[in-house]
Amino acid sequence: MSEPLRVLLVEDEALILMQLEMLLEDAGHLIVGTAMRAEEGVALLLETRPDLVFVDLRLAGDSSGVAVVQSAREIGGITCVFITANSRQLTDELEGAAAVIAKPFSGSVLEDTLAFLEQALRRPPPELAVPHGMRVAPAARESWALMEG
Amino acid sequence: MERDDAWRQTDRLQTETGKGDPFAAAVRGTRMPMIITDPRQPDNPIVYMNDAFLGLTGYGRDEIMGRNCRFLQGPGTDKAAVRQIREATEANRDISIDVLNYRKDGTPFWNALYVSPVSNEAGEVLYFFASQVDVTDRVDAHLKTLNEKEHFEREVAKRTRELSEALAAKTMLLHEVDHRVKNNLQMVASLLALQTRTITDPTARATMEGMLKRVEALGTVHRRLYQSHNIERFDVTEFVRDLASDLVRGLGRGDIRLHLDVEAVVVPVAKAPPIALILNEIVTNVLQHAFPAGRPGRLSIAVVPGETSIAIEVRDDGVGMPDLASVSGQLSFGKRLIETLARQLNASITWHPADPGTAVHISLPRETAVSLETR
Repeated sequence: MSEPLRVLLVEDEALILMQLEMLLEDAGHLIVGTAMRAEEGVALLLETRPDLVFVDLRLAGDSSGVAVVQSAREIGGITCVFITANSRQLTDELEGAAAVIAKPFSGSVLEDTLAFLEQALRRPPPELAVPHGMRVAPAARESWALMEG
Repeated sequence: MERDDAWRQTDRLQTETGKGDPFAAAVRGTRMPMIITDPRQPDNPIVYMNDAFLGLTGYGRDEIMGRNCRFLQGPGTDKAAVRQIREATEANRDISIDVLNYRKDGTPFWNALYVSPVSNEAGEVLYFFASQVDVTDRVDAHLKTLNEKEHFEREVAKRTRELSEALAAKTMLLHEVDHRVKNNLQMVASLLALQTRTITDPTARATMEGMLKRVEALGTVHRRLYQSHNIERFDVTEFVRDLASDLVRGLGRGDIRLHLDVEAVVVPVAKAPPIALILNEIVTNVLQHAFPAGRPGRLSIAVVPGETSIAIEVRDDGVGMPDLASVSGQLSFGKRLIETLARQLNASITWHPADPGTAVHISLPRETAVSLETR
């Protein structure tokens, strides 16, 4: 691995948060923070300036992951990926996020996703194909110089 | 001609010379209210009315003789109807129209009015002849029908709105429950994955990983549910693609190629979980045993819908499966799982040596699909 990704996790289900932490650590990445509410997530964005954010759509305290994604866009240089059981609620543009992974996800889909994102973020275009189970927004497709289809 | 003759009769009637004329007597005596006006006098006054007209309107002869008949109008009279009558008489045309008129006592009645000009040989209009029929009952019935129709349409619109709202609420509820199920399945997978990492014993760890795969297979089913508009049907095609890619990827080996030949086929939603678990067991088994480390290979899955059954074939070109009759432990649990799930689906499963490798044939009756759907 060239350089571990600095990752922020925003997920309000404790067990899923723990599994994500485990999978990220196993893949050699650095978790810079975890949040269960959107406000917490936004505060951590400013504080930690991560490379990558995995964010759930529905968060604790009736807050929404869309707020985190919008804030990340304003800051700039931060890639957001939704992990949600509500992917049908998202627009084609994914509310400004780069991609979405549908819950329930398998361990291997998340491993694939991390390997793909590492290439896409560090040295685009990625050599790996878009992982099965991951939907990439048109804007990200363009900025990562992905082949069509 | 009859028309000339007719106006002469009217002329004689007006000049009181036709008293003995049977035609004039008919006009006087008929039950149909009739009046005659004279457009050559200022404001086109009434110059004759029969008794039926007096009976209909409630006026005395002296009260209305010499007046323009606009006194019949009232607050509910349609201005557009009055304008149409005026335009017709100004153009010397006849007109037939329903207009709301008022009696002397103020009660309204619907008047089916017919006005026609009476001309002399030179074409000059001498009179207007007007007949009236009280059609209040007919118009009321018509208006009532219109009202009922409007009321009915409003009710239908209201009911349609209510049904749409109920459907939207039901759909929202379904999506809410779907969301909960998916989240909870993820949590079960999380628990298994977290616990598995703490286990050092290889056999126990393999068992836990096997359980995680089964839960993930069920997760794949639920991720694929309700993705089409038909919430009772499950698309096997995309599901097989998801499941097989996931399992092959999970091996972390680049030397196993996956070949899919899956025709579009849908099954009832209730059949999806057992099919998912059977496929998961078979494919996992193949991947664990057919390709020992360093032996590359190919895994093919074909789904072919037939008329009475759906044929699924899982084929590998590996080292061949161990004899299932003699297996024990983890493998025998998998075997029992497959057999019982097959019983639930009424499916038959057979293993064949394929030289090299093994072919597993699953035959899923489509009749079961129907009975599962309707139960």
